[in-house]
Amino acid sequence: MPTPDPVDPDAEPVPLGQRLFDNVFLLLALGMGVMLVVFTGWGLWEILTLPQGTLP
Amino acid sequence: MSAVATSPVRICDVTGRRIHRSAEQLVKANAVVAVVALLVGIIAALLLVLTRWQAVHLLPPTWYYRLLGVHGMNMLIFFIIFFEMAVLWFAATVLLNARPAAPRLGWVNFGVMLLGSLMVEWAQWSGRADVLYTSYPPLKAHPVFYLGVILFAVGALLVTCQFFATLVIARRERTYEGSLPLVVYGAMTAAIIAVITLVHGAMTYIPTFLWSIGLIAMPDPQVYRMLWWALGHSAQQINVAAMVAIWYMLGALTVGAVVLNEKVSRSAFVLYILFISMASAHHLLVDPGFGPAWKIVNTSYFMYMAVLASMVHGFTVPAGMELGMRLRGYTDGLFGWLRRAPWGDPGFSSLVLSVVVFGFVGGITGVTLGTEQINIIAHNTMRIPGHFHSTVVSGTALAFMGATYYLLPLVFRRRVAFWKLARIQPYLFSGGMLLLVLGMTFAGSFGVPRRHWDISFSQAPFDVPFNPAVDIFLAVMGIGGIIAFLGGLSFILIAVKSVFFGEPLPEITRGVEMHGVPRGLTHPPVHAPDADERNAALHDPARGIAGATPGTLVLVAVFLLAFVVYYFANWKLLSFLWKIG
Repeated sequence: MPTPDPVDPDAEPVPLGQRLFDNVFLLLALGMGVMLVVFTGWGLWEILTLPQGTLP
Repeated sequence: MSAVATSPVRICDVTGRRIHRSAEQLVKANAVVAVVALLVGIIAALLLVLTRWQAVHLLPPTWYYRLLGVHGMNMLIFFIIFFEMAVLWFAATVLLNARPAAPRLGWVNFGVMLLGSLMVEWAQWSGRADVLYTSYPPLKAHPVFYLGVILFAVGALLVTCQFFATLVIARRERTYEGSLPLVVYGAMTAAIIAVITLVHGAMTYIPTFLWSIGLIAMPDPQVYRMLWWALGHSAQQINVAAMVAIWYMLGALTVGAVVLNEKVSRSAFVLYILFISMASAHHLLVDPGFGPAWKIVNTSYFMYMAVLASMVHGFTVPAGMELGMRLRGYTDGLFGWLRRAPWGDPGFSSLVLSVVVFGFVGGITGVTLGTEQINIIAHNTMRIPGHFHSTVVSGTALAFMGATYYLLPLVFRRRVAFWKLARIQPYLFSGGMLLLVLGMTFAGSFGVPRRHWDISFSQAPFDVPFNPAVDIFLAVMGIGGIIAFLGGLSFILIAVKSVFFGEPLPEITRGVEMHGVPRGLTHPPVHAPDADERNAALHDPARGIAGATPGTLVLVAVFLLAFVVYYFANWKLLSFLWKIG
C-alpha cells in the first residue's frame, strides 16, 4: 500500500467550485434528489391527485 | 510484461501503470459476458429486422414479440451494463492506479448478475416472459423473470458501490493528485446515474415480482410506467456518460487529443448527473396521467440542461482532437488534421463514427422527439427506435467496440485477431446502422408503428393504408440491418478469437508497426517539442472567431444548421394537423 504523502502547507487552496465538483457523494445526493423530487415525487403526486373518471 | 506472474500487481509496459490482477480479471469477465449478450442480441436483431421488413416478414407473431423482449434485455441491459461494469473496474483501478475495493465481493456480484441474466434468458426463451422489454402490467411474466432482473440490478448496484469505495481508497492512498482524471470523472458520472436508475428499477420490479407470486394486487399501470421509464431510459443515460468518457479516452490514445477546458467538460458531466435522467418523461408525453407542467418541465426545461451538456461534449471532443493534432504538427487548412488522422485505426474510426452518428442523427432526432408538441406525430412510431438505435447502438456500442480494440492488447494482452477485418469493422457496422436508422426514421415519419408484427393488418376488418414509399424505407432498414448484423458479428468474431484463441502479446514495441496492435499503442501520439509555442500561436486573439480549432467550428455550424432544418421541418409537419382549406 503506498504511503500517503505529507500535505504541503504552502499549497494553494482548492477553489470552492472544484471542491464541490470533486465531492462524489454530494453529486450522488444531488442527482438522486433532483430526480426523486422533480420526476418521481411530482409524477406520483400528479397520478395520485388525478380526479376519478366518471362513466358515461 | 515486467512483473512476476504470481504478483497481485503488474506494470503495464505501454502506460507504466500498476494493474491489479484481481481487477483485471473482473474487467475481463465482465467484458466477455457483455460480448456473449451482444451475440444473443444481434441474432435476435437480425430475425426481428427480417420480420419488420414487410416483404420478408420472417417470424410468426409469437416469436416476433418474444424475440423483441430478448433483443431489448440483451442489448439494452446485459451487453451494455456488463460492459459498463468492466469500464467501472478499469477506470477506478487502472486509470487511478488504485487497488480494487473487495475484489472477492466483486466476483460474488458478478455471479449474482450472471445468475440474474440467465434467469431472465430462461424465462424469455421458454415463453414464460412474453411481456416485451417494458413488461407493462397487466402483462404478467413468470416470477423468475422479475427475480432475475432484481438479482441483476442488485449485483450491478453493489459493483457501483465498489466503484465508489475504490475512489475513496484511491483518494486516501493518494494514487492520483488533484481532481479525478476526466475519463474517471465520466465513469463516476455513469456510476451515479446507475444508482439513480437501479433505485427506480427496484421500485419497479419488486412490486411486480410480489404481484407475480400473488402477494399483492397488480401495481397501478400509470405508476408502473413512470417508474419503469425512470429505469428504462435512465439506463441508456448511463451509456451516454460512459460513452463520452470513452470518447475522451480514445481521443487521447489515438490522436493525442487534449482537454480544451477541464472546468467546462466537468460542468457538462455535472449537468448530466443533475438533469439527464428526467429525459425518461419523453416516453410519457401522451400518457393521460400527467399534466403539461410535469411533462414540459421534465422534457424541456430541465432536460435541455442535459442536451446542453451533450452539445458541450459534442464540441469539446472533436475540438480536443483537432487541437491535439495541430499540436502534433498537422496544421494544414481547416481539415488537414482530419485528413491526416489514423483512419485505419479501428479505435479512431469507431470514435469518429460514434460521435458523428450519435450527434447528427441521435442528438437531433432525440431533442426533436422530446418536444411535447412534435411528439404527438412521432409517438410509438418507428421514429423512436430509429432515434435510439442511433444513440445506443451507433453511439454507445460503437464506442465500446472502439475501446475493446485497445483493451485487447492492454488488458487481455492479445493481438487483435482478423486485423484487416477489424480495420473495416467500424465502417461496416456504422454504415449498416445508419441505413437501418434512416429506414426506421423515414418509415416512422409515414406513420409506421413501432413494435408491430404486421403493418399490413392482413386479417383486420378495416384497411390501414400506408404510403407506398414505406416499402422502400423498410427495405432500406432491412438491408441496413443485415449489414449492421455482419458488422456486429465481425466484432464478436474478432473479440472471441482474440480473447480465447488469440496470439499472446508479450511486449509492445514503440515505433514499430505491429500486426494486430492499434497504432495508438505502437506509435503513441506525442505533441511536437514546441507544443507550448504552437499552442500560444493557435490561441492568439488575432486568429479571431475561428480560434484554435477552426475545423471543429465549421463542423459545429453544419451540425446546428442540420438541427435547425430538421426541427423546422417537424414543426411544419405538425402544422399540417391543423391545416384548413
